[in-house]
Amino acid sequence: MTTNTPAVDVQTTQPKAPRENYLNCTTSFKSWALTLDHKRIGLMYLIGTSLAFLAGGVFALLVRLHLWEPEGMLFSNPTYNQIFTLHGAFMVFLFVIPAIPGSLGNIVMPLMVGAKDVALPKLNLLSFYLWVIGAVMAVAAIVMGGFDTGWTFYAPYSLYTDQAVVTIGLAIFVLGFSSIFTGLNFIVTVHKLRAPGMTWFRMPLFVWAIYATAILQVLATPVLGITVLLVAFERLYNVGIFDPRLGGDPVLFEHFFWFYSHPAVYIMVLPAFGIISELVTVHSRKPLFGYKLIAFSSIAIAIISFLVWGHHMFTSGQSTYAMFAFSFLTFFVAIPTAIKEFSWVATVWKGSVALNSPMLYTLAFLIIFAIGGLTGVILGALNVDLHLHDTYFVVAHFHYVMMGSIALAFFAGLHHWWPKMFGIMYNEFQAKIACALIFIGFNATFLPQFVMGSRGMPRRYATYVPEYADYHKASTIGAMILGTGVALMVFYLVASLFIRKKAKQNQWGGVTLDWMCPTPPPHLNFDEEPQVVHEVYDYTTLDYETLQRDCD
Amino acid sequence: MINYLIQEPKQDPQGDLPWDGVPAHEIDFWGQLPVQAGTFDHVDGLFYFTYAVCIIFFVIITGVLLYSVFAHRRKTWDQKPLSNVTHNTPLEVVWTIVPLIIVMIMFAWGFKGSLDMTTVPHEAQRNTYKATAKQWNWTFIYPDATQSIAEVYVEVDKPVQFILESTDVLHAFYIPVMRVKRDIVPGRYQSVWFHPIKQGVYPLFCAEYCGDDHSRMYAKVHVVDAATMADRPWNKVPAEDKPVERIAYGARLARQLCASCHKMRDTDTVVTGPSWLGMFTKQGDTYVGRQREVLEGGVTKTITTDDAYIIESIKDPTKKIVAEAPYNKNSMSKFDTLTDDRVACLIAYMKSLADN
Repeated sequence: MTTNTPAVDVQTTQPKAPRENYLNCTTSFKSWALTLDHKRIGLMYLIGTSLAFLAGGVFALLVRLHLWEPEGMLFSNPTYNQIFTLHGAFMVFLFVIPAIPGSLGNIVMPLMVGAKDVALPKLNLLSFYLWVIGAVMAVAAIVMGGFDTGWTFYAPYSLYTDQAVVTIGLAIFVLGFSSIFTGLNFIVTVHKLRAPGMTWFRMPLFVWAIYATAILQVLATPVLGITVLLVAFERLYNVGIFDPRLGGDPVLFEHFFWFYSHPAVYIMVLPAFGIISELVTVHSRKPLFGYKLIAFSSIAIAIISFLVWGHHMFTSGQSTYAMFAFSFLTFFVAIPTAIKEFSWVATVWKGSVALNSPMLYTLAFLIIFAIGGLTGVILGALNVDLHLHDTYFVVAHFHYVMMGSIALAFFAGLHHWWPKMFGIMYNEFQAKIACALIFIGFNATFLPQFVMGSRGMPRRYATYVPEYADYHKASTIGAMILGTGVALMVFYLVASLFIRKKAKQNQWGGVTLDWMCPTPPPHLNFDEEPQVVHEVYDYTTLDYETLQRDCD
Repeated sequence: MINYLIQEPKQDPQGDLPWDGVPAHEIDFWGQLPVQAGTFDHVDGLFYFTYAVCIIFFVIITGVLLYSVFAHRRKTWDQKPLSNVTHNTPLEVVWTIVPLIIVMIMFAWGFKGSLDMTTVPHEAQRNTYKATAKQWNWTFIYPDATQSIAEVYVEVDKPVQFILESTDVLHAFYIPVMRVKRDIVPGRYQSVWFHPIKQGVYPLFCAEYCGDDHSRMYAKVHVVDAATMADRPWNKVPAEDKPVERIAYGARLARQLCASCHKMRDTDTVVTGPSWLGMFTKQGDTYVGRQREVLEGGVTKTITTDDAYIIESIKDPTKKIVAEAPYNKNSMSKFDTLTDDRVACLIAYMKSLADN
C-alpha cells in the first residue's frame, strides 16, 4: 500500500518547514531531561528498555554459545551461573515488564483516549527516573561482583551466596516503584481523561489492555517489593524469615515471590495482547471480532492471574488441596487466553489483509503464541508437571511467551507506531527479512528445547549429559539466527532516523484517535479536542481518498 | 566486571565425569519421553493426550490464519474487507465451551495421577531410603542403615520410598525414567516413591538450582534384581589388608565429596577450601602431618595435621578452623554421616598424595 503515493501538487503546496511537533518544539537538553510530555518520556523509555533488551540478548547469546559443548565452551560454572542470572534479571525487570507500558503505552495510550497528556505528568517523569536508578543499580550490582541466584532469587541460596544480592534486590525494589507509579498514572488517565464520546466500550483494546495491566501493577508489585526487602534485611541483619537455620521457611519465599511474579507474567503479556488486538484489526481493515469478549477476557485474566501462583510450586510439597485449586485455576485461565487467540484469527478471516512488516510480526506472534499457550496447558496438568517442572520444557514454554510473544508484539507495535512517533518510515524490505530471520531463528532456538526438556534435561545447567548435545547445538544455531535478525532490525530502525523517508499522516489506515492527530503529534497532541462519534474500529468511516493523498 | 570479560579457559574434562558409564536415555516411539522404568503410565498417557490436542488446535489455528492471510490478502491499496462481522454468538459459545470441557478432562486426569504419585503405598513405606542432598552431592541411606554416595541401588519390582532432606539450600530429586520430581527444602522432610520395573542404570538429576556445581549434582540409580541387592554392592569398602584398593576407594570418595572445594591434584583449580597437597610429608615409611595454625573457639593454636584432626574436621568442621584467610570464614558443612571406615580410606588417599 505504500507504493501508491501520488506526487504532491506543487502548485498548492509551498515548500515549508516541517510542522512543529513534540520532537522539535524545543531542543535543549533540559527540555528533554525534565520533559513532562508523555511522548518524550515514552521515547526515553524506548531507548532505555531497548538497551536493556540488547544487553540481555548478549547475555543470552553467551549462554547459548557456552552450551555448544556438553562441558561448556566459555565459562567456569560460577560465571555461567552469573550470566544466565543476568540474562533473566535484565530481560524480566528492565525490559519485559517496563518496555510496552513504559514506551508504547506512554506514547500511544494518551493519543488513543484523546488526551493532551497522561493525568500525572510529573509522576510519569519520576517513574522513568526510578527506572533509570534501578537500571544503574543493576549495573552496579554487576560491577560489585555480580549475582548468581537466578532471576527468581530463591531462598535460602540467595541468603547464603557471597554476592551482590542486596544491591540487585534494592534495584528491583526501586524498579517496582517505577512500575507502580506508571500503573497508577494510567488508571487515572483512562478514568479521567477520555475525550468526549469515548465511552468505555469505544476504547481501543490497547487501552483496555494497558488498563488491566495497570491494575495488576498497582496491586501485585508491592508484594515483590516487600519480598526483596525481607531478603535484604535477612542478609544484613540475620532476621529469620526465609532461612531455615534461623527458623524461617524457604517455601514462604516461593509463595511471596510467585504471588507477584505470576501476575507479573500478565503484566508483561497483557500489553502485548493489546498491541496485537490493535494491529490485527488495522491491518485487516476489519472490526475486531468479539471486541467485548476480548476486553472482558483481559479483566478476567487480570483477576484469575492472582490465584494461580502455586502452579510454579507443584513440586515444592504444598498440600493436595492447594495443588487441586492451583491446577484447576491454571486450566481455567487458559480459556480467556484461548478466546483471544480465536478472536484474532477470526478478525483476519475475510479481512483485507495487508502483508506489511507490522502485520508480519503480528502473524509471527499469533503462531508463536499459539505454541506458547498450548504448551502451557501441558504444564498445567499436575502429574505431567511433576516430570516437566524445572526442565528445558518449561524454559522453552516461557520463552515462547516472553520472547516469542511479548517481544515480538513489542516489535510489531514498534513498527506499527514508528511512523507515528517520528513521521518517518523504515525500509520495509529489510523489515520483512528481519521478521523472517527472527521467526525462523526463534523457533530453531526453542523447539529443540521442548524435546530435550521432555527427555529430562534440567534447566540452569552449566554443563550437561552428552545425550542432549545435538539439541543444544541446534538451539545455539537458532539463537545466532535470531540474534542476526534482531541486529538487522536495530540497524534499519536506527538508519531510518538518518534516511528520513517521510511517512504518511495515516500510514496504515487506522481509525482510532492515535491516527487522527498530526504525525508526528504536536506537543499537546490534538489541534482541537477530539470528539468520538463512531464505534471503535469502524472502518466504514475510513476516507480512502485522503488516505491516498495525505502525504503532507 | 572484569572477570566476565577475561575468563580462564575451561579445564579439560578430567575423565571422571559423574555420568560416566550411564547409558543415554532410551527414547520412546514418539521421540519425546524417555522410556519409563516405573509405573506412572498416566504421566505418559496424559502427556501424549494433551500433546495431540495441542497439535490439533495448533493446526486449526494456523490453518485458518494462513488460509485467510493468503486468500484475503490485500491486492489493491483500497481493497475493502469481505465482511464486517463483529461477532457470532454461537461460534463464540462453542469456542469457549469446547476448550473448557477438554481442559477439565486434563485437569481431572492430572489430579488423579498426582494423587497416585504423592500417596505412598504401604509396600513402599516398608522399603524406605533416605536421600541427603547437599551442595553438590547425594548421600543415600538404605533400610539396613548402610550408605552409598553418588549412586543408589534399588530392587526391581519392589516399590521404594525416599525420604528427602537437604543440609543447605533447595535441591530437587529428579529421576526422568521414573517420572518423579520433588523439591528438597532445608528444614523439612519430603518424600517420593516409585515402583521400578525395569533393570538398568539411570540418571538422577538435581533439578532445582543450587549454586556453582548444580549441573554436577548427579547420581546413578541402579535398578537391580534381588540377588544383586542381597550382595550389597554399594557397601563394599575394601578390607584393611588391601591398602592399594583402599586408597583408590578413598580417591573416588574424595572426587565425589571433596573435590568441589579442595585441591588434591595439580590440575585442580579450586581454592574454596585449603589444599590437600602438602598436608602430609613422607619420612621413611610413615607419613607426618604439617604444622598448621587453627582457630579453636576464637583462640589461635598451632596443631599437627594428624588423623585425629582430620577426622574431627570432617565430622565437625567448625571446631578447629584454619586461621589463614580466606579459609578462616569456613563454609564447610558437616560430613558426620560418613562411616569411620570410609573416613579412614579418605585419610589413606590424602596421605598417598605425599608419595609423589
